[in-house]
Amino acid sequence: MGGLDGLLQGFQVAFSIEGLLFVFIGVFIGTFIGMMPGLGPISAIAIMIPITYGMEPSTALVMMAGVYYGAVFGGSTSSILLNAPGISGTVATAFDGYPMAQRGEAGKALAIAAVSSFVGGTVSVVLLMLFAPALAQVAVTFGPPEYFALMFMGLTAISSLSEGSTIKALISATLGFMVVTIGIDGQTGTPRFTFNNPNLLEGIDFLVIALGLFALAEVCFLIINRKDTSLTDKANVGSTKLSKEDLKEMRGPMSRQSFLGFLLGVLPGAGATIASFIGYITEKKIAKKPEEFGKGSVRGLSGPETANNAATSGAFVPLLSLGIPGSGTTAVMLGAFLVMGIQPGPLLVQDHPDIFWGIIASMYIGNIILLVLNLPLIPYISKLLKIPRPLLISLVIIFSLIGVYSVSFNVFHLYVLLFFGVVGYLMRLTSFPAAPFILAFILGGMMEQSLRQALTASNGDYSVFVTEPISLTLLIISLLTFVVPMIKRRYSTV
Amino acid sequence: MKKLLSFGLILFLSILTACSNDQYASSDDGEWEPEQPIELVAPAGAGGGWDTTARSVSQVMEEEGIVDEDIGVVNKPGGGGAVGWAYVDRKQGNPHHMFIGSPPLVFIPLNGQSQLGYEDFTPLANMIADYAAFAVADDAKWDDLNDLFDDMKEDPKDITVVGTSSPGSMDHMQFVKIAKAAGVDITKIKYVSSQDGGALTQVLNGNADVFSTGVAETVEQVRAGKIKVLGITAEERLEGEVLSEFKTAKEQGIDATFTNWRGFFGPKDMDEGQVKYYEEKFKEVSDSESFKEIRDKYGWEEMYMTSEEYQEYLDEQNEELRGLLDEMGLAE
Repeated sequence: MGGLDGLLQGFQVAFSIEGLLFVFIGVFIGTFIGMMPGLGPISAIAIMIPITYGMEPSTALVMMAGVYYGAVFGGSTSSILLNAPGISGTVATAFDGYPMAQRGEAGKALAIAAVSSFVGGTVSVVLLMLFAPALAQVAVTFGPPEYFALMFMGLTAISSLSEGSTIKALISATLGFMVVTIGIDGQTGTPRFTFNNPNLLEGIDFLVIALGLFALAEVCFLIINRKDTSLTDKANVGSTKLSKEDLKEMRGPMSRQSFLGFLLGVLPGAGATIASFIGYITEKKIAKKPEEFGKGSVRGLSGPETANNAATSGAFVPLLSLGIPGSGTTAVMLGAFLVMGIQPGPLLVQDHPDIFWGIIASMYIGNIILLVLNLPLIPYISKLLKIPRPLLISLVIIFSLIGVYSVSFNVFHLYVLLFFGVVGYLMRLTSFPAAPFILAFILGGMMEQSLRQALTASNGDYSVFVTEPISLTLLIISLLTFVVPMIKRRYSTV
Repeated sequence: MKKLLSFGLILFLSILTACSNDQYASSDDGEWEPEQPIELVAPAGAGGGWDTTARSVSQVMEEEGIVDEDIGVVNKPGGGGAVGWAYVDRKQGNPHHMFIGSPPLVFIPLNGQSQLGYEDFTPLANMIADYAAFAVADDAKWDDLNDLFDDMKEDPKDITVVGTSSPGSMDHMQFVKIAKAAGVDITKIKYVSSQDGGALTQVLNGNADVFSTGVAETVEQVRAGKIKVLGITAEERLEGEVLSEFKTAKEQGIDATFTNWRGFFGPKDMDEGQVKYYEEKFKEVSDSESFKEIRDKYGWEEMYMTSEEYQEYLDEQNEELRGLLDEMGLAE
C-alpha cells in the first residue's frame, strides 16, 4: 500500500507554510463560529466557499475541513456555559456540562470538553487513516432495515434519559415524534401537519427545537427566578486544572467513545448529533453511579464530547472514499469539493492523493492547534459568565435568533423558536424532561423513513428486519436493554 | 403575577427582535441597471445541481466582469424548492433577486406541494440542459434499459427505484417517462426517496435496484467500477470521457427523452428593461469560454433560451408532465 507515502505527501501539504497557516485559520474560524449558540459548521463552511475561489484546492479543502471539526470542537463552549447548544452535535454536552458550570466549575467543564474533544478527534483520525476504505464498505452495507434497527436501539435509551417519571419521559418523546412528522413526507410527498402554511413544508429544523427547549427555556427560567440567590454564585469559574481523579474518570468514556463515535459518524445520516446522544446514553448505562448523570458528571460530559468529535472524522469516511455526503454539513463540504473541481469518490485517493492525505494529515495538526488554542483561553472564555446577567441573557436570546435565522433565512422559524422556548419552560415547570423530546426528534424522522423505505422495497414484508444479520443484532441488543434491567430489578427486590 | 408579567415581556421583546423589514429598490423604465448586489437563490442545499449551476454562473459573472454589482448565491433549501420560490415571490418589485429553476418548478406545483409555479415568476433565460441517468450496481443482471424494462413488465414488484427527490418530482418522473415509452405499467413502479446520500448507498447494498439521478452524479462511481449506467435521457450521446460511453434510451429503441433544463427566474411582473438586461448578461455568460469549460466538466449542454422562448417551452413542458402525473394519479 502506498499509505505511508501518501501520508508523508499529506504531511508535506499540511506542514507547508501555507498549509499550516490555513489549517490554523480554518480551525480558528471554526472554533469561533462553533462557540456562538446556533451557528454551526454548515453556515461556517458555506460562508467560506466564496473565499476559497482561486485558492489551491488542497489548501482550500484543508481549511474547510478545519472549519468543520473546529466548529464541533468549539460548539461545546456555549452548551456548557449557557445551556445554548452551539451546534446540534453538542446538545448532549449541555446535559452535564451546564450543571457543572452552574456548580461553579465552568473552567473544569471546558477543560474536560477540550481534552475529550482532542482525544476523540485524534483517535478517530488514526482510525480514518488506517481504515477509511475498509470502513466505507461497512457504511455501504447499512440499508433501510439496518438504519431502522439502529434508530430503534437509540430509542430504547429514552428511559435512561428520564429523571424521575418514566411516563413523563415517554410523553415527552411522543411529542418529539409528533413534531418531527411536520413537513413534506419523504415517501409520498404529502404535506403533513403543515396547516397549509408553506413555512412548515420543510419541517422544523433540529436547531430550532434544541435552542428553544434548552437555551430559551433556560433564559425564561433565569429571568423569572432572578431573585433566587442560588443562581448568583455562578460567576465562580473555578480552576481549569483537571485532577488525577477527573482524568481517571475520563479515561473510560474517552477510550470507548472515540471508537463508537467514529463508527456512528461513518454511517451516512447518523453523524455527530446521534453519536453524542448514543455516547451519553452508553456511558450512563455502564456507569457505576448513573444517578450522577445530569447533575454534572465528568463521564456524562466527556462521553458525548469525545463521541461528537470522533464522529466528525468518521463523517469524512463516506465523503472521501465514496463521495457520499452523510449529513448536511458533509453535503456542503461536498459542494466545496465540487466548486474546486474535485469530485470525491472511490478514486479520490488515486487521483488526488495530495487532497485525500492532506486533509487527514491536517486533521492531526488541526486537533493539536485546537487544544493549544482552546486550553489557555478557557479562563477568559469562562469569564463570559461574569457578564452581568441581564446582558448575558440578552446575548443568548440574540444569538439564538441569529443562529436559527442563519439556518432557515426565514423569520417564521424565529416564532417557532420562541414557541419552543415557552414549551421548554412549561415542560420544566411541570418537570417533563426535554431530552427524550430531542432524542425522539433526532431519531424519529430517520426511523420512520427507513421503516417505510425498507417495507416498500420488501413489498410490505416485515421479515427484512430479522433476516438481515446487522439489523437482527441491533434489535436483539435493544430488546436486551429492556429485559435485562427488568430481570435485575426482580432479583434485587426479592 | 409578576412572574407572568416578566414572562410576557420577554416574549414581547423577543418577538420585536424577530421582526425586520426589507427595503425594496425601485427601477426605471427602458434601460435598466442593477442598483444593489444581485442575489441568486439556489432553492436547495449546497452541492446539488441548482447550487452548482448558480455558483458557476455567479463565478463566471464575477470573474469575467459581466455584471458590475456583486453577485451572491444564497441557499434556501426546503419543500423540494418551494421555500426558495416563496422567498423570491415575496421580493416582487425588487428585480435583484432571482432563483435557479429546473423541472421540479413544474412538477412540485402539479403535485400540489407548492402553490407557486412557473407562471408566478418571470422566466429570464435558460442556461443549460442536463440529463438523467439510470444506474444499477455493477454486478446487476441488467445490461441495458430493455433488459430492465422487460423484467419490470413481467413483475414490477421485484424492482425498486431510488432517487433523492420526493415522489412525483424529478428523479421519480424522469424514470416514469422513459419507462412509459418502453411500455411498462407506470402505476406499478416502486419508488423510494432517500436523502443524505442514501440513494446511491441503497443501490450499492442491494436494497434498491435502480438509481435514478443526474448524469454527472454517476461518472465517478462508474469510473470506480461500482455502478453501471443502463441509459441516459439525452437525445444524442454526450461528449467527454466516460460520459460518451453512456447509451441513450433512444438508441436502445425507446422513443423518449427527458431534459433537466436549468435557468433563472425573477419575481413576477418584471419590466421589459429588466428582462432585457438579464437576458443579455446570461447570454454573455453562456457564450463565454469559461462557462463552456464548466459545462464540459459537468456534462451539461448549452441550452440558452430568451425569456420569450423559455415561456413557450415551459408551457409545453407543463402540458406534457401534467398528463404523465395524471396517469400516475399524482396530480392535484
